[in-house]
Amino acid sequence: MRNRSLWIGFLLALGLGLSIALTQPQEVDPYKEAERQRELFRQTAGILPGELYAAQGEELFTQKRGSKNASLEACDFGLGPGKLEGALTQLPRYFADTRRVEDLETRIVSCMVRLQGFKPEEIKRDEVKALTAYVASKSSEMPINVVPKTSQEIAMYNLGRELWYHRAGNRDMNCAICHDAYAGGKVRLSPVRSPRQGLSNEWPAYRFEADKLYTLQDRIAFCYESIGIAPPEFYSEPYIALSIYMLAEATKGKHKFTELPGFTR
Amino acid sequence: MRRIYLLIPLVLLGLALGQTGPSYIDAELQRLIQAGGQNYSNILLKQAPDQALCSIHRNKLPAEVLGPFIEAQRQTIKYPADGKLMGDWRQGDAIFNTLARGNCFSCHVGSPRNIGGNVGPSLEKYGQRGTSEAVQKYTYEVIYNVWAYFPCTVMYRFGHGGLLKPEEIAHVVAYLLDPASDFNTKPALKR
Repeated sequence: MRNRSLWIGFLLALGLGLSIALTQPQEVDPYKEAERQRELFRQTAGILPGELYAAQGEELFTQKRGSKNASLEACDFGLGPGKLEGALTQLPRYFADTRRVEDLETRIVSCMVRLQGFKPEEIKRDEVKALTAYVASKSSEMPINVVPKTSQEIAMYNLGRELWYHRAGNRDMNCAICHDAYAGGKVRLSPVRSPRQGLSNEWPAYRFEADKLYTLQDRIAFCYESIGIAPPEFYSEPYIALSIYMLAEATKGKHKFTELPGFTR
Repeated sequence: MRRIYLLIPLVLLGLALGQTGPSYIDAELQRLIQAGGQNYSNILLKQAPDQALCSIHRNKLPAEVLGPFIEAQRQTIKYPADGKLMGDWRQGDAIFNTLARGNCFSCHVGSPRNIGGNVGPSLEKYGQRGTSEAVQKYTYEVIYNVWAYFPCTVMYRFGHGGLLKPEEIAHVVAYLLDPASDFNTKPALKR
């Protein structure tokens, strides 16, 4: 565990060094640049930062932890206890045990509370992120399959759509005004995609420019921050509503997840 | 203290407008937003009636709403105290090209200092329009409150939202229009 953390630290520092050294002043295609950075990691380190996070998550997943001294192997992500293959493809969804619609991150937290006996305030964000990377890695390149069916899922999808169009703040922003109106365009270097075009299909991902792992909640929070709106608290319903809306739309667009954890700008 | 007294009628006016204006937020959406915590809900629940109209109509206002909407937006525009709509282009340069200030280049081509985005129309050689009063006024007003010309568009209402002061907007107008400005004498950076 300690060894792995050291490795992660070393490789992430190396990664930052590489991305600074190799950042070129002229315009580059962001997808090609991500591919190039990814190859450099493969060549120099032999492993991608996202894979290291997932490996860290796997250890956390299988270790007996918390006041109940249990692992997370009995956690049901919707396909049955411990079934992780493709679990992310059908999240968020409604769970009868918690009587809530949950996304992957929120589900991990519920399992840490219910199965391992953690108090919500004891749960470390970094651990949830690593666990998210691990569980998501079992849905790498699989078709997204989020189809709201229960009344709770449909209600959450509808609220997510309302939130998507909700203009607020002193910059009058909402999600749609960029991601629908300018889908296919670019804000500075970043390509803008709509949910139907598969927006949200690469998270959780390692962002080489930030040198950090971002979950989908982190990425939504980053969006809110960059438009001057304080993001919702992690694991709260606005994230779940926006996620189910985006992923259900990506499903209609017949999109797959990228390699997970993703590797992106 | 006097400031607070001045604010009270404004707050009351705001409340009155909020109550009579259109509302986008129903009980369910309000509950969802509140679940996101205080900091988040403070901003989202404070939605102004014009923001609500853009949300309700998915950013495309129907004809019957459009006229009164534009008129109301025009009424919000304020001008620099000295009445000059063109300030100092060098100060405008700093505002236009700084992410945390105007951040204009993220969406517009035209800056000789930054590669422009393509979300907004190109402003390359904007100064070709000349510096007539009409051109200055149009440029100033679009930056101050773009919704008076392009309702519900993505561009920030810089003056209305308090993001830039009237004098700062006049500096940006000068950056765009002044024939001596780098914006008009140097080539735009393009991808």
